[in-house]
Amino acid sequence: MSDEDAGGVAQAQVPADPDRYMVVADNVHKSYGRSQVLRGIDLAVAPGEVTCVLGPSGGGKSTFLRCINHLEKIDAGRIWVGGELVGYRQVGDRLHEMREKEVAAQRSRIGMVFQRFNLFPHLTAEQNLIEAPCRVRRIRRADARTRAGELLTRVGLGDRGGAYPAELSGGQQQRVAIARALAMDPELMLFDEPTSALDPELVGEVLQVMRDLAASGMTMVVVTHEIGFAREVADTVVFLDGGVVVESGPPSQVLENPQQERTKLFLSKVL
Amino acid sequence: MSSDVTGSGRGRPEPIRAVPVRHPGRWVAVVVLAVLAAMFVHMVVTNKAFQWPMLFDNILSVPVVRGAVTSIELTILAMIIGIALGVVLAVMRLSPNPILAAAAWMYIWFFRGVPRLVLCVLFGNLGILYSRLEFGLPFDHQLGALFGIDLNARLFGVNAVTLLSGFTAGLLALAMSEGAYMAEVVRGGIQSVDPGQAEAAQALGMRRPLLLRRIVLPQALRVIVPPTGNETIAMLKDTSLVAYVPVTNELFFQLQHIGARTYAIFPMLVAACIWYLAMTSVLMIGQHFLEKRFSRGHGPRAIRLRGARSAGAGGAVGTEVDT
Ligand SMILES: Nc1ncnc2c1ncn2[C@@H]1O[C@H](COP(=O)(O)OP(=O)(O)OP(=O)(O)O)[C@@H](O)[C@H]1O
Ligand SMILES: [Mg+2]
Repeated sequence: MSDEDAGGVAQAQVPADPDRYMVVADNVHKSYGRSQVLRGIDLAVAPGEVTCVLGPSGGGKSTFLRCINHLEKIDAGRIWVGGELVGYRQVGDRLHEMREKEVAAQRSRIGMVFQRFNLFPHLTAEQNLIEAPCRVRRIRRADARTRAGELLTRVGLGDRGGAYPAELSGGQQQRVAIARALAMDPELMLFDEPTSALDPELVGEVLQVMRDLAASGMTMVVVTHEIGFAREVADTVVFLDGGVVVESGPPSQVLENPQQERTKLFLSKVL
Repeated sequence: MSSDVTGSGRGRPEPIRAVPVRHPGRWVAVVVLAVLAAMFVHMVVTNKAFQWPMLFDNILSVPVVRGAVTSIELTILAMIIGIALGVVLAVMRLSPNPILAAAAWMYIWFFRGVPRLVLCVLFGNLGILYSRLEFGLPFDHQLGALFGIDLNARLFGVNAVTLLSGFTAGLLALAMSEGAYMAEVVRGGIQSVDPGQAEAAQALGMRRPLLLRRIVLPQALRVIVPPTGNETIAMLKDTSLVAYVPVTNELFFQLQHIGARTYAIFPMLVAACIWYLAMTSVLMIGQHFLEKRFSRGHGPRAIRLRGARSAGAGGAVGTEVDT
């Protein structure tokens, strides 16, 4: 609570209580050189909620997602995941950078799924799933394999554990990638346009896996252009453009009855 | 195949029987080269300076064969040390720690800039610099004198002459120089791996040493291994340089020594050519298969990774994957 009071003094808006939400972003700023990519993002995701992030290309969606697991360092503001400040430790009123070990420990609790899958091509599907649990979590190999089998079955690929990524279709690869992230038992899953690199006929199978995951109570932040998915699955839709949250709320509000001109314009183009 | 597809009902047309283009230039070249080859053979056979009997007497003599074995030993050891050094240096060079990166840069700068021959002679003469090699705090005697005490912080020492015997000095010169070249090869390999791979590993909570060892380096091998084969062939040839350390039981030294002793300098040089050609030929055959092996399976997998969209549907494209 005390860190929050310290933060509250400087800002007009009091951020959401990080202990009650899975993700809290408070006034997040990020620039690359002189170009400001994120210019004050606020966001709160409750446990078990699905938040879909929409917005035009270059709006900073990927950058924001990568800040949540500290793949990118933020310049100003705060991000909490599971009540823990991401990437920094607060000591008194100063922030200390975390060591790589601590950052890695935080990341291991956050699953991430990439647009281009990023499966490890030299490992089979099963090996992709057990690598991190065995070597980061130090789970016994036999247990990790059992779990990998369960997860592959869950994404509909129970019989493809021995296949290399190159032997799988794009949709299958992305489902393995989702299973790989789940193998670390994350409390939060981040998706960066998980279906954008897929042939249209393969999009459905990946969205179905994500739907099931949402139904099982996983907290998810999903950057997507699939408006239908957002409408059906999201608890909250966030429209992000020019590095700020232009509009956010339940899909019925943001998608059906947007208040902002920029949101209306974007939706008219993608729908 | 296409006739099945079109199925237009028309029969397959008669195959083309055209008159091939004539290549008179090729015949001219053949004649010129044949004449030159005949002249060469004539000289080799008639010129007494070749002293063929001398060559045949010595080329498989015991010291020469031992010399060849020494050269092979040197090649293997120098490459093992060089590769290990190269991996360490490449990782340092790409490290976020600027001190490590700068240190690796300096090392590579020095050992790529100084010719191997000079390095060999230099290492052979290090004994002039140090009678003993000692490990301990630097400037201990000077500091001790400053405070008026007899400070001796040498932890242990070895006689430089014993450590830097010809073989060790030559090996170190070759290995340390190779380390610099291998560092560049390994660095290129690491940088050839899609950054998304390291990112995915990081997102899973892997730390840098682990993700390098388990994710990035195995994929970099495809790019690293073929040039390493070339480096090995070059190393085998460069072992002849340690004749100037001098390493007295090495192939080239032995052949020159025999040549000088028997006044049959030229035959022994020809023998050296034959030996090195024979050994590098074996390595080149190995290199050929290495390159074949490491280019295989790369295509479809790489395409799939980069353009997942285009290669999405066909599950059978990348079936020839090595295990
Ligand atoms: N590493 C980087 N260095 C410099 N600029 C970057 C970098 N990464 C992103 N940017 C810039 O930041 C801006 C936001 O990029 P980002 O990838 O977050 O957008 P996005 O909303 O995900 O877009 P898209 O829908 O195309 O994925 C873009 O203008 C981009 O050029
Ligand atoms: Mg993006």
